[in-house]
Amino acid sequence: MFPTSTQRKHWMFSGEDDLKKLREKANKKYVDGFGEHLNEEERSEKFLSPTEEYVLLRFYINALREFCVQFQPPMPKYVIGTSMMYFRRFYLNNSIMDYHPKDIMLTCVYLGCKVEEFNVSIMQFVKNLKSNREKMTDMILSYELLLMHELTYHLTVHNPYRPLEGLVIDIKTRCKSLKPEEVDRSRQGADEFLDRVLQTDAALLYAPSQIALSALLSSASKLGINLDSYATEFILGSGTKEQAAKTTENIKSIRYMVKHIPPLDKKEGKKIGQKLEKCRNQENNPDSEVFKRKQQEMLDDEDEVYSRKKQKISQEEKDAEKELLGL
Amino acid sequence: MDQYTILGRVGEGAHGIVFKAKHIESGALVALKKVPLKKLDDGIPSAALREIKALQEIEDNPFVVKLREVFPHGTGFVLVFDYMLSDLAEVIRNIERPLSEAQIKSYMQMLLKGVAYCHENNIMHRDLKPANLLISSKGHLKIADFGLARVFQNDTGRLYSHQVATRWYRAPELLYGARKYDEGCDLWAVGCIFGEMLNSSPLFPGENDIEQLCCVLRILGTPNEKIWPGMSELPDYNKISFPENPPIPMEEVLPDASKEALSLLKKFLVYPSTKRISAKEALLDPYFFTEPLPAHHSELPIPQRSGRKMRRVQQAYEYNIEAPLEESLIDPDILAPHVLKKS
Repeated sequence: MFPTSTQRKHWMFSGEDDLKKLREKANKKYVDGFGEHLNEEERSEKFLSPTEEYVLLRFYINALREFCVQFQPPMPKYVIGTSMMYFRRFYLNNSIMDYHPKDIMLTCVYLGCKVEEFNVSIMQFVKNLKSNREKMTDMILSYELLLMHELTYHLTVHNPYRPLEGLVIDIKTRCKSLKPEEVDRSRQGADEFLDRVLQTDAALLYAPSQIALSALLSSASKLGINLDSYATEFILGSGTKEQAAKTTENIKSIRYMVKHIPPLDKKEGKKIGQKLEKCRNQENNPDSEVFKRKQQEMLDDEDEVYSRKKQKISQEEKDAEKELLGL
Repeated sequence: MDQYTILGRVGEGAHGIVFKAKHIESGALVALKKVPLKKLDDGIPSAALREIKALQEIEDNPFVVKLREVFPHGTGFVLVFDYMLSDLAEVIRNIERPLSEAQIKSYMQMLLKGVAYCHENNIMHRDLKPANLLISSKGHLKIADFGLARVFQNDTGRLYSHQVATRWYRAPELLYGARKYDEGCDLWAVGCIFGEMLNSSPLFPGENDIEQLCCVLRILGTPNEKIWPGMSELPDYNKISFPENPPIPMEEVLPDASKEALSLLKKFLVYPSTKRISAKEALLDPYFFTEPLPAHHSELPIPQRSGRKMRRVQQAYEYNIEAPLEESLIDPDILAPHVLKKS
């Protein structure tokens, strides 16, 4: 249920300003930590600004969607929606300089597949990558836990796809004046709208049902199909005046967001990408020496603890045996 | 991990070892479920994800075990639950005399409230059995182990695995290999648990999957398309056929049970899953409103966890702070003869 969900309680924000602040905070934390010895000018030269971070993040948002669309076996839409949500949530509190979006992106999709019960093994999963499959397997599995922790273990995501189904059925039942074909046609456009929603922050700001309704209304109005009476009578009519006004405003904002997605500047993206390579956290770069060393230490630690435990147990067993034999 | 002191080992859960521990700050007793991660496998096991997913979305309910927190530990992570003393399987097994009708009613009421809550939240547990119904030190029953739980969606044609639920509590449609099923499989399990309490032993103790079906058919009679529409379309329907066999009246199977108990039991144990009584409806059944009324939780048995090792650990670490002070004081007169006096 959405009203009692962790999504509503912990991952819905009141406006784009809130998101901006969070992203700025994550950026500042990284810059403060790694640029202690640098002055303001050197910092801005070396590190990405929050704006630059978001520009590059949007490239990876597209890449995530593209990866999912191409995925074999074909992936249901809600897996894409959930993975995208994980990705956006992760970078609300983390800088892309700390964790490279390329790595986190794949981890998000892998976790999304599992949580949505779209069962693919890690082997099948990395078959969708062109190269470096073995390395990527290690990378995904080593980031899975971190990702889950950063999501504060809130794994359930409510996507707008199911509410859309519900609205379509509801309209077909209640609006006798509309032909079922008309509803089906507006539904097609709504699917495209929801696909575009993935490129926006809408899922962090609005309820999935409102996003779904915006999708239907937008698509219907393009086709010249009038759904306004349905919306005012059956949906807005059930709440108070204030609620209705708020919902109308939200729907307007969602439609505005989707209509005004800024274009991606490839040249700029490439430039930022190159800058990122120089300022990213090497401890979290699976290709760096620091990372490999850290990883090995962690495994050694675990092994050591285990062997120590084992030693202790076998000693206890020996002692018990001795006791039994009266030695 | 620094926030907890481990007090002992409770057992093996569906995924990993369970420890009893104390939350240092609050003093609360908790169960720590350690989920190890092996790099070779597919990462975090789905069972653990399902459990976290289901329990994070459920708000506090007195009849569902509470997931207090999750934190990473080493290469794996730890789930923290409220500590529970025992489970219903132990209650049924250990009790010297059979549960009284009032006690059974009380357990059933708590179980149904928990199941109704899960179903209202679109969660099917898929593995209800006495061992997954934990009993608190106050006698409360709480549903646990959501390792097989799924968030269900009514309108999509998704396929589920039929290899769920422990065999004795597995619904007939699952035994016939159904891949599309609903929360009805939980209600079947509720019926089996109910029967087990009335009977003091499992109602359908099949040794293997085929025998399991035999056990059910022996008591409920061989189903046919008329009793159970759609059964001939189940995947494994043609694989096995059973001789025609009339049902045995429940009154004969459970001669000691009351009329009301049997009437409710029969509403759970029906072949078509959609015909099974919902948890919410069952709570309004006359069974719960006829004498004897459900027992208060203070009248329910609370067995100690068995196992010598556990006891010792408990003695070593636990102090009963509620015991009267006089009991822990030492009478100086008793000590007097042993005290060496300075000459």
